[in-house]
Amino acid sequence: MTQSVRHILRGLLIIIVQVLILKRISSGSNWLWLHGAVFLYPIIILLLPIRMSRHYVTIIGFLIGLLIDMFYDTMGVHAFALTATGYVRGILLSYLEPRGGYTTAMSPTRHSMGINWLMIYSSLLMLVHVFVYYVGEIFTFVYIGQILLKTTITFLMTMMVIMGYHLLFNPRK
Amino acid sequence: MNNLLLFIIRYSAFLLFVVLEMIALVLIVRYNDNQRTIYLNSSSIFSGRLYNFADKAYEYNNLRDIADSLANENAKLKTNIFNLERTIQHISIAESPVDSCILEPYRIIEARVINNSINQRNNHFTLDKGIADSIRAGMGVISPHGIAGIIDQVGTEYSTAISILHSAARISAAIRRNNYFGSLIWKETDPRHMILEAVPRQADLLIGDTIVTSGYSYIYPRGIFIGTISKFWIEGGSNYYTIEVKLQEDIARLDQVYVVDYTGERETQQ
Repeated sequence: MTQSVRHILRGLLIIIVQVLILKRISSGSNWLWLHGAVFLYPIIILLLPIRMSRHYVTIIGFLIGLLIDMFYDTMGVHAFALTATGYVRGILLSYLEPRGGYTTAMSPTRHSMGINWLMIYSSLLMLVHVFVYYVGEIFTFVYIGQILLKTTITFLMTMMVIMGYHLLFNPRK
Repeated sequence: MNNLLLFIIRYSAFLLFVVLEMIALVLIVRYNDNQRTIYLNSSSIFSGRLYNFADKAYEYNNLRDIADSLANENAKLKTNIFNLERTIQHISIAESPVDSCILEPYRIIEARVINNSINQRNNHFTLDKGIADSIRAGMGVISPHGIAGIIDQVGTEYSTAISILHSAARISAAIRRNNYFGSLIWKETDPRHMILEAVPRQADLLIGDTIVTSGYSYIYPRGIFIGTISKFWIEGGSNYYTIEVKLQEDIARLDQVYVVDYTGERETQQ
């Protein structure tokens, strides 16, 4: 019970940081920000308990995406990307499963799984998230160059803040 | 039937994923048609309040800049007032007084930008005034150094506007030196420049020519300074120039803006 309350509070804080601070940072007019943004909020999906059912993760992804969309004025785009991320997370977790399976004590953090596992897990999911996001935003493959450029820049900056979060706060659960 | 049920249960996570993605896609497409539900965008009270609160926290950072730009603007206004008074003196000697709504068809409402974006394909910003301050959809928004956008959705206390950096924005603009006019549109990814199209090739152009609003639509008054010509060329086989205009206003730093209410239009309609 206290576990889920902690997850919800942390999620709300991360969303507030995303829409009030990171959104402003990524609205500058120099070259870097025109082609990229910083997304911290997918870390909420990354940090959900490993054994949580795939259904719940997908639904939570959709709802958080909608909430972010309300603040970004991009109706549906973030929801589109985060639903995909939530669903792919289940598949990826079964690929990354250690020998002997996950135990109840394991959570997707540096403390529990080690930095290598965390890097692979976060970077693959973020690649999916950022790519699907720009496909949804630009909405046509005619601009595939632009999609790839934006995906690369945003991916690098997003990974920096997500790994930074893990190194700074070292969440146990 | 049993098999179908088993199938649904077996793949329920995937089906759920597909259904949610469909909903998101429908939302995206609806959004692109500009038919957003009003309570799910930033003109809704919920996110508007939060942005207003955050804006208050940030505004102390740039008080100095704001003071400077306000002083600048005041200076310009004073110049205009002196010029106008002189003109009016001349008119009143020559002619009988005219109805004031013909002379002053524009009413200006000041507002502040509390949320802005420039790096999407279709950019919007949010103002802290709404129906309560008699703002209506379709009014133009001007900024101290140029034009900013057009009001789109109006809530009771907040409203959203499409930025001039929006793929649907077309602004009628003219070259001040020789009055040739065309429409100003935005090509994505560069928030400092816009493209002026449909100026015929017999027009003589110079780099640095001033671009102002033409006043041919009621959205903006005539003669608002937009920017200067930075480049111009003719696409192969075309009869029209393509002109790159460097904007005077940095849309990324919009703060104090003015909404233009054209009162003359309503009277002519009645």
